[in-house]
Amino acid sequence: MSLPRITHLPSGRLLSTILHHQLLLPSIIPLTVPKRAVIQGEYRRPGQPKKTKFAWQKINFNFSKGLEAIKKHFTLLKKEFTDRWVGPEGKPIVEHMLEQNRVVWEFRGPESLREWTVSSDREIGGHSEAYLKLGRNNNTCFLYGTLSSTPPRDGETRYSGYCTMRSKQPLASFDRKKHHDWSSFNTLQLRVRGDGRPWMINVSAETYFSHQKDDIYCYFLYTRGGPYWQDVKIPFSKFFLTHRGRVQDDQHPVWLDKVNTIGFTLGDKADGPFQLEIDFIGVCKDYAHTEEFAYEAYKRNPEV
Amino acid sequence: GLGTTITFASSHWLLAWMGLEMNTLAIIPLMAQHHHPRAVEATTKYFLTQAAAAATLLFASVTNAWLTGQWEIQQITHPLPSTMITLALALKIGLAPLHAWLPEVLQGLDLTTGLILSTWQKLAPFALILQLQPSNSTLLIILGLTSALIGGWGGLNQTQLRKILAYSSIAHLGWMILVLQFSPSITLLTLLTYFIMTFSTFLVFKLNKSTNINTLAMSWTKAPALTALTPLILLSLGGLPPLTGFMPKWLIL
Repeated sequence: MSLPRITHLPSGRLLSTILHHQLLLPSIIPLTVPKRAVIQGEYRRPGQPKKTKFAWQKINFNFSKGLEAIKKHFTLLKKEFTDRWVGPEGKPIVEHMLEQNRVVWEFRGPESLREWTVSSDREIGGHSEAYLKLGRNNNTCFLYGTLSSTPPRDGETRYSGYCTMRSKQPLASFDRKKHHDWSSFNTLQLRVRGDGRPWMINVSAETYFSHQKDDIYCYFLYTRGGPYWQDVKIPFSKFFLTHRGRVQDDQHPVWLDKVNTIGFTLGDKADGPFQLEIDFIGVCKDYAHTEEFAYEAYKRNPEV
Repeated sequence: GLGTTITFASSHWLLAWMGLEMNTLAIIPLMAQHHHPRAVEATTKYFLTQAAAAATLLFASVTNAWLTGQWEIQQITHPLPSTMITLALALKIGLAPLHAWLPEVLQGLDLTTGLILSTWQKLAPFALILQLQPSNSTLLIILGLTSALIGGWGGLNQTQLRKILAYSSIAHLGWMILVLQFSPSITLLTLLTYFIMTFSTFLVFKLNKSTNINTLAMSWTKAPALTALTPLILLSLGGLPPLTGFMPKWLIL
């Protein structure tokens, strides 16, 4: 078998131009990996700066912090193992069974504020402000700020003016999610001193599907204002399901065995300063309250 | 029902696999009937684990057919398909270390569906396990021991009754698997005893509408006679003499 003959070789000039182009190509089309925003078409709110760094480029490596973190996580893991011998949630089982009231959050020092996150519409370009600090004598938590319902000038946001305070998700060792188990209780109890504004209490339970991620159970908290403390007791049967702020048709009671966070939101469309002082947040079992759910369950195929 | 019966009656792996699939798919609507997010989550988790187990089972039986030319259930002789089938069936029934789905799934269901999951759904995979040749005794012993240990450890300090029953199921199945290769008849006796005890436990909880230990503690006001007998059922489930639950454990030992 004879090899095919190459009758016409490309000229040296042509080859050199091709090579020149290949050398030029890196300057025109970079051979580095394109930015993630370009690949995935990430939405960027108008007015927000472009994200030029990848997620791993934002990590600040620190050896001593790493060591502290390892120590902290292993201590938590050891505590989890030893708590098992004591009882459920680290308490003796008799105590668990006789428990009728439990104070979950008590603001008695600066470390108690680290369990909470405060945010407002500043994140979307709004002008509200919200701050969290300890109240007088370091005995309470004081949420204060200014609400502004002026929408951000980005051409797409129509409404604005909210602020919220939300508890952080409890974490076990190695940053695994932990949940509050309030199944032995049926009422949320808190002691607050507001300024007369209507707040919303949001309870977020563990969700599994992505379309349930924004499911929150809400109820109202009308504050009285004035110098006197207000004891508020809200049964969990009164909490209704919302998704992204919209009340859902298909209602069901909140399951209390896996509660993630609790939050307080203010969005009453009234511009101006606000404040909310919280003494404690707890749960209790009210044996007189036997209602399972306050609202009608939505039936998709009702019996006619 | 039909799926379990098909699996019972089959001697061909494909028919057995079909029966298992029907078994799984039939219970899915029962589990998700309440349209509650937790029930739908439990249904999805159950479906994914059972589908994975069924796929592994099918793959193993096809591999066995390819290697040995046999489709008979009792003719699994090659070690690889035998191991894969054992692991697939272990995932189906919730044996440790493939047990992680069972407490969460049972917790998301109501008591009646949980009862069906704990009892009826174990029959079909067990029918296949009993027919397997005991070629991988080490694996069975490991599965059994791990299940018994994890079932006992996991059930400690649980406050949710359905999770307690899930870990109890894991432990009991561990005991059954341990004795399978030595005396299948004792395995069957243990299974039957477990079914009776679990049935009664679930029905007691259903009657009292109790899903955690605190509600169970208050059930004496609703049904005092039944509540007085409940400790006997629970101790029997725990395997204490002279109650019935001790008998299979004693025979195994």
